[in-house]
Amino acid sequence: MTLFERGQIGRIRLHVMPTKRFKTFAISLFAGLPLSENAVTKTALAPFVLRRGTVSLPETKAFREKLDDLYGAGFGFDVYKRGDSQIVQFRMDVINDHFVSSDVPLLSSSLRFLGEVVTEPVTEDGVFRCKYVDAEKQTLTKRLESIVNDKIRYAAERCMEEMCADEPYRLHPLGKLDEISSITPESLYSQYQQWLREAAFDLYVVGDTTMEEVAALAKEAFRIEEGTPASYSVPSMRHEVRNVKTVVERMDVNQGKLNLGLRTNVGYGDEDYAASLMYNGILGGYPHSKLFLNVREKESLAYYAASRLDGHKGLLTIQSGIEIANYEKAVTIIKEQLESMRQGQLTDLEMNQTKAMIANHLRELQDSAYEMIAYDFNAVLSGKERTAQQLLDKIEAVTEEDIVRVAQLAQLDTIYFLRDQKEA
Amino acid sequence: METLDYKGVQETLYREVLDNGLEVIVLPKEGFQKTYATFATKYGSVDNKFAVGNDEPVRVPDGIAHFLEHKMFEEPTGDIFATFASQGASANAFTSFDRTVYLFSATEQIPANLETLIDFVQHPYFTDQNVDKEKGIIAQEINMYKDNPDWRVYFGLIDAMYHNHPIHIDIAGTVESIYQIDKETLYRCYETFYHPSNMLLFVVGGVKAEEVFELVRNNQARKTFKPQGEIKRFFEQEPESVKNPRKVTKLPVSLPKVMFGFKEKKTGLTGDALLLHEVTSKLMLDALFGASSALYQDLYEQNLISDSFGTEFNVSTDYAFSVIGGDTPNPDELLGRIRTAVEEALRTGIEPAAFERSKRKKIGGYLRMLNSPEAIAGEFTRYRFRDSDMFDLLSLYEKCTLEQVNDRLREHFDFNQLAISIVEKPDEQPVS
Repeated sequence: MTLFERGQIGRIRLHVMPTKRFKTFAISLFAGLPLSENAVTKTALAPFVLRRGTVSLPETKAFREKLDDLYGAGFGFDVYKRGDSQIVQFRMDVINDHFVSSDVPLLSSSLRFLGEVVTEPVTEDGVFRCKYVDAEKQTLTKRLESIVNDKIRYAAERCMEEMCADEPYRLHPLGKLDEISSITPESLYSQYQQWLREAAFDLYVVGDTTMEEVAALAKEAFRIEEGTPASYSVPSMRHEVRNVKTVVERMDVNQGKLNLGLRTNVGYGDEDYAASLMYNGILGGYPHSKLFLNVREKESLAYYAASRLDGHKGLLTIQSGIEIANYEKAVTIIKEQLESMRQGQLTDLEMNQTKAMIANHLRELQDSAYEMIAYDFNAVLSGKERTAQQLLDKIEAVTEEDIVRVAQLAQLDTIYFLRDQKEA
Repeated sequence: METLDYKGVQETLYREVLDNGLEVIVLPKEGFQKTYATFATKYGSVDNKFAVGNDEPVRVPDGIAHFLEHKMFEEPTGDIFATFASQGASANAFTSFDRTVYLFSATEQIPANLETLIDFVQHPYFTDQNVDKEKGIIAQEINMYKDNPDWRVYFGLIDAMYHNHPIHIDIAGTVESIYQIDKETLYRCYETFYHPSNMLLFVVGGVKAEEVFELVRNNQARKTFKPQGEIKRFFEQEPESVKNPRKVTKLPVSLPKVMFGFKEKKTGLTGDALLLHEVTSKLMLDALFGASSALYQDLYEQNLISDSFGTEFNVSTDYAFSVIGGDTPNPDELLGRIRTAVEEALRTGIEPAAFERSKRKKIGGYLRMLNSPEAIAGEFTRYRFRDSDMFDLLSLYEKCTLEQVNDRLREHFDFNQLAISIVEKPDEQPVS
C-alpha cells in the first residue's frame, strides 16, 4: 500500500502521495472550523464568493476560461459537516502534462490557481466585491430552498435535524436561510479573514510528483500567515436516549420516506469502530443485509432499505421508501432487525459476507485518488491514525460477541416519516 | 486474441469474439487493486417490439427489460447478491434505453466472481411466485422516481419530443404495465436478447488478459446455445415534428425546473459518423452554453440560471436530441435569452477562442474519465453497441474543426424542432 508523505507549510499540513497510477493530479484542500451558530452561514457562503474571481482573474468569465485553458481542470468545492466541524473542501483535478502538449506546467498552475482562490480573492474597498456577494447570496438561498426537491435527501436531513435538535450538529452545513439576507460584503469578509486565521488547513496532492515539489509550489501558491496548523476537536460519542422521538411531516408525495436515527455511542477513534462497521454492514449496508432481505425481498415493502454509519458523530441512520399505508409494518420489521442483532442472531454467512464486502471496499479505495484522500483525512479529523490495511486486519478479527456488544450500545433515538397530505 | 494499442492514452486492449458470438474485451490496468467487469446485452427499454429471424413480431409490456434485470438476480439457490458477497464482490445492474448491464467490482477471487457473473446472467429462473413478488418492489421504484423532479423534467422532455418512438416510455414502465408481466414473456425476452451473440463482456483492472480469456472460453464451452437468427426490432414511424411543444408537470419544487430540447430531423447514423456527430454537437453546446461562455455568465448574473444549468446531447442511431436547462425562476425569459443567443450564433458562428477552449476542456475531461474503470467499461460498451469505438474520441476531439462545429450549429438549431419541459409547483402551494 502506498502511503501519504507528510509535511507542513506555515498553517497548512501537507499530505502527498507520489504515484504514476493516474492520468491526473488530484488536489484537495480541507478547511475546517467548529460548527457554530454564529459562523455557519458565513462560512458556507464564503467559498461561493471565492469562486467568482481572484486578484489576477477578477472577472468570473476569465476565471472560468483559465480552467478551460488548463485542459478543463476540474474545480469545485463542497461544504459539509463531520463530527462537530464544518468543513469546506476545495478540489482540483488536472491532467498530467505527459498526456497533452500543454504550454504551461499544469500542476504548478493549478496549485497557484487554488492558492489564489483561497487566499487572494478580488476585493473592492478592502472587502469582497459587492456584486459577487449579492449574486452568491441568491445562489446559497436557492441551494437551501432546493433541498426539499429531493425527498430522499430532504427526509434524511430532517431526521438528523430532529435527532440533534439540542446540538450544533442540527445545523445544516450550508447554514441558515433566514440569516443570508443580513450578510454584507464587510461582515462576510471579516468572517473570511477569521476563517483564514483559525481554520485547520490540510492540502492533499496525489499524482506523479514529490513532497519537495508540492511544498515548494504550495509555499508560492498560498499567501497565508505563518503559524502552526490548527487541529480538530473530537466530539463526545456518549449520548443517553430517554424516549424515542417520533416526527411525522406531510407533503405532496407519492411515496412515504421512513428514516430512523440511532446513537451508536462508538466513534471513529474507538477500539470498537471495526465492530460498529460490521454492525452497520450486517444490518443494512449491503444487498445481503438484514434490512434489504427482510424489508425488500421478503415483504416487497420497498425498493430501497439500507443503513449508513457516520463514525465521526456516532450516528447510524436507516432509510427506506415505502407505501404510506405500510408505515407501521415497516417500522415493526426494522425494529425486529435491531432486536435480532441485540440478541446475537448472527450467522457465519452474514459475518463472512460482511467482512468480505468491507475488505473489498477498503482495498478498492486505493484505485481512486479522491477515496484515498477521503480515507486519510479521517485520521486528521479523529486524531486516530489507522491505515486501510490496519482497519482491514481489525475487521477480520471482529467476533460475534463484539457485534452484540456494539448492538446493545446502539440506541434508537428518532423515527421520522415524510408522508402525503391525505388523512390517515 | 487481438491486441489493440492506444498509444495516445497509454492503454492496451485485448479482444476476442468466441465461437458462440460472445465478444470479450479485457483492459489490464497496472497497479490497480480492483477488477471491474460488466456483462451487457444490447437490449433496453426501447426494444418492446421484436422478432427473431422470420418469426411473427411480438409487442411486450412496457418496463419488461428492467423487470427482467431485477429477476435475473434470483437463482434456485437464492439471491445471487449473497454469492457475490461471500466472494467479496459488490454487484449491481442497470437498464437504460438501449442496454442492460450486469456488473461487479472486487479485489479478490476474481475468477470465481467472473464465473458467477457469467453464470447467473446465462441462467434465467422465473416462477409465477417470484415474478409476482417483484411487482411490489418495482412499483415502489416507480413511485420513487415519480417524486423525483429531475427525473420528471428529463422524461417530460423526451415525452414532449417523441410521438411513437419507445424512448418516450419510462424505462421501468408504469405500475399498470408491470402488472401485465408474466414468466412466459420474460423467458421470451430472455431467449431473444441474452444470446451470447447479442452480448459483450468487458473486464478492466488488475487482471492478466490471457487468464480472463481462458476462463471465459472454458466457461462458454460448457454451455450450449442454439444458433440464433438476426434480431429484428420494430419501431413505428416517428414523425419529424415534436409531439408537444410544451409539457408542464406539477410537483412541489422550490423553483421551476426547465429543459429545452431540439429534436434532430436527421437520424440513422452509425459507427464513425455517429461518433463525429456526437463530438461536434457536444463541442457546439459547450462553446455556446458552458460556464465560461458570455451567455452563461450573463444569465447567472441576472439570476436566470444557477449552478444546475447545463447541456447534454443524447444520440443513437434512431433518435437524437439536445437538452439545455436547469432551475430558473422564469422559464420563458430564459428561453427568450437562449433563443436570442442562438440566433446571434447562427449569424456569426462560434467564436474561435471559445471553440479552442471547449476543445481543451473536452480533451481534459476525456482523459480524466480514463482514471475510472467503471467509466471506461460503461462508455466502451455504450459506444460499442453503436458500432463506435470510445478510444477514437481523443483524436476526433483533436481533429475537429471550427467549421464542422459551425455546420453542426446551423443544422441543429431549428426552432420548429423545439420542445420544452417544465416542472413547477402546484398553484396552491401546500409545502410547509
